[in-house]
Amino acid sequence: MYNSIESDEFLIERVKNGDCESFNPLVERYKLPLYKVMYRMVYNRDDAEDLVEEAFIKAFRAISRFEIGKPFYAWICRIAVNNAINYLKKERRGQVQPIEFFEHSLAAKKGNPVEMTKQKVLQERITAAMAKLPDDYRTIIVLKVEEDFSYEEISKVLKIPKGTVMSRLARARQKLRGIFKEMEVQNK
Amino acid sequence: MKCDLGVELLSGYLDGELDKEQKAEIEKHLKECEVCRKEIEELRQLDEYVRTAEIEEPSREFIFNINRRILEKVKKKTRFRLFRFSPILAPAAVALLVFVVLININRPVRFASLDERILYAEVEAKKELDIEIPKAGFAREEVYAKGVVAKEKKALTTSKVPTMAKARDVEVFDHAKKGEAGAFGIEAQDEIISLTEVQELQIPRDRIVRAIVDSNGKILKVATGNTIIPERDTMLENRLQGQQLSPPLVKGRRTQLYVDLTQEKVTKN
Repeated sequence: MYNSIESDEFLIERVKNGDCESFNPLVERYKLPLYKVMYRMVYNRDDAEDLVEEAFIKAFRAISRFEIGKPFYAWICRIAVNNAINYLKKERRGQVQPIEFFEHSLAAKKGNPVEMTKQKVLQERITAAMAKLPDDYRTIIVLKVEEDFSYEEISKVLKIPKGTVMSRLARARQKLRGIFKEMEVQNK
Repeated sequence: MKCDLGVELLSGYLDGELDKEQKAEIEKHLKECEVCRKEIEELRQLDEYVRTAEIEEPSREFIFNINRRILEKVKKKTRFRLFRFSPILAPAAVALLVFVVLININRPVRFASLDERILYAEVEAKKELDIEIPKAGFAREEVYAKGVVAKEKKALTTSKVPTMAKARDVEVFDHAKKGEAGAFGIEAQDEIISLTEVQELQIPRDRIVRAIVDSNGKILKVATGNTIIPERDTMLENRLQGQQLSPPLVKGRRTQLYVDLTQEKVTKN
């Protein structure tokens, strides 16, 4: 078992040479950051966990194509995001978005200042607003704001022109701000 | 109050994705326009909320067991990867087999491969490609050194009547030990015959005899006949099969070889 000191490159080199066990520290290192991204994309714990698992398996199978020297996290994140986009397109088509949970949660805690600080309220509200966003808007916000991908990287992941990234991100931000303000008014 | 500046530019400015000129323009505009300053501040705040928003904790199963699950799955997939392609490979293999059968179906049955290989070995040897044809003498010495002969000698001195083969072996070993080169060698052949009465590897002069000798020098199969098609001679086979020669060498490496044991040819060498 390798400890956390081993570099990504070292471990990947070993995996490429057939040592499956060396993949373990990579999973350990990146499972939670990936979970966070996946969760923000699908807003469902079980789905997010499954997507992380799938992303690691896909990454393992494609490890021979990974170029040593490039950041592993960005690479696996792209795999995970693409996988999640496909999941949202295929699996969740027509299904109800899990926003009821957040609305219910907000409603239950509304007017109870002891239970919720102002910061907490804002966090819950933004989470609910994000969950209400269309999938493509939410995805692009996650990629830019959460993961700090450049427009160039987002354009590669989403397979859209860089100009479209800029305009879609601007629209997504506007939409999010709109929903957020709407909820603010409703909860007052 | 409204401003004509597009939200795209503000969003791009916030992300640091504008070129130098655009950035300078926006910065200049922001100094003058309060609406846009407020707008960009709101966007920045919104980003901050998104970044710090809490998420549902992953399950304990995920935290503690995902590594094991992933490892199990990737190992399983690696193991069965070949089978995933079997729907394509299997018909292809069958097609190849049918093709090979069809192109060979009308060909006459040949037994000449043995013959061809002998010729090949000889031709290659003539090209000085460093092929060492196995010889009998060397191997006998080797066996002798291992003490097998001593055992056989003991058998001879006992009242038990040794088999012919054993008796012949001892004779030949002795001959080899004495340094009379090629106990089974070609030059000393007549002498050996006179000494041992029956030479183990004695090949009738009028017959072509060929053998497959394995990489350790052991004769595996024997064929005879004057024609190109090998014939089987059970007596000769019984006599020669399992006999030990020196290991055949090709470029210094031990290798299985088809060898011509025909007397005339051997004598010439």
